[in-house]
Amino acid sequence: MIADDALATLIRAELPDAEVGVVDRTGTMDHFNVTVRSKAFAGKTLIEQHQLVYGALKAALKDGRVHAVELKTIVSEG
Amino acid sequence: MDYKEEIEREIAANKVLVYGKGTKDAPRCGFTLETIEFFDRFGYPFEVIDVLENVPKREALAEMTNWPTLPKVFVNGKFYGDTDILGPMAQSGELQTVLQEAFGGPAERKETINLH
Repeated sequence: MIADDALATLIRAELPDAEVGVVDRTGTMDHFNVTVRSKAFAGKTLIEQHQLVYGALKAALKDGRVHAVELKTIVSEG
Repeated sequence: MDYKEEIEREIAANKVLVYGKGTKDAPRCGFTLETIEFFDRFGYPFEVIDVLENVPKREALAEMTNWPTLPKVFVNGKFYGDTDILGPMAQSGELQTVLQEAFGGPAERKETINLH
């Protein structure tokens, strides 16, 4: 289990400019909808963008704090 | 046991391959079920390999793909992540091109049965 803001903090540790939206899908604090908007995604394929976010969540996924993530990445134009 | 070799063999042997939790007939995870339903719509044959209980194989897969979650989808030997990637690819038509290239043509469509 992990709190929404703790999950967002993990992502921003890797992608400091990221705007992160987190929704707990199941109310059990381990299945999330996550939307990330960052300049770091520019020029990357969708799969590379997701790999960046998953890199930030690697430890939390491995130790079971996070079970499943439905992920959406958006390239920030700003 | 070298799981990397086993995985490479499986990827080479299946044009569309899903590593998931549970089997095609008995998926044990909502995302795996979603992925099975996703590929059912395209009409091409695909294989699901259950790695739920096989922790070392899951770790080998995660390392090979730099992708920590299941399911993991391979098409024609290439890693395509999951339906978060494949969904937008299907919307843009990119996935249909990848599948046609993998199978050398369009899928054999099942006849629609009209009950009326």
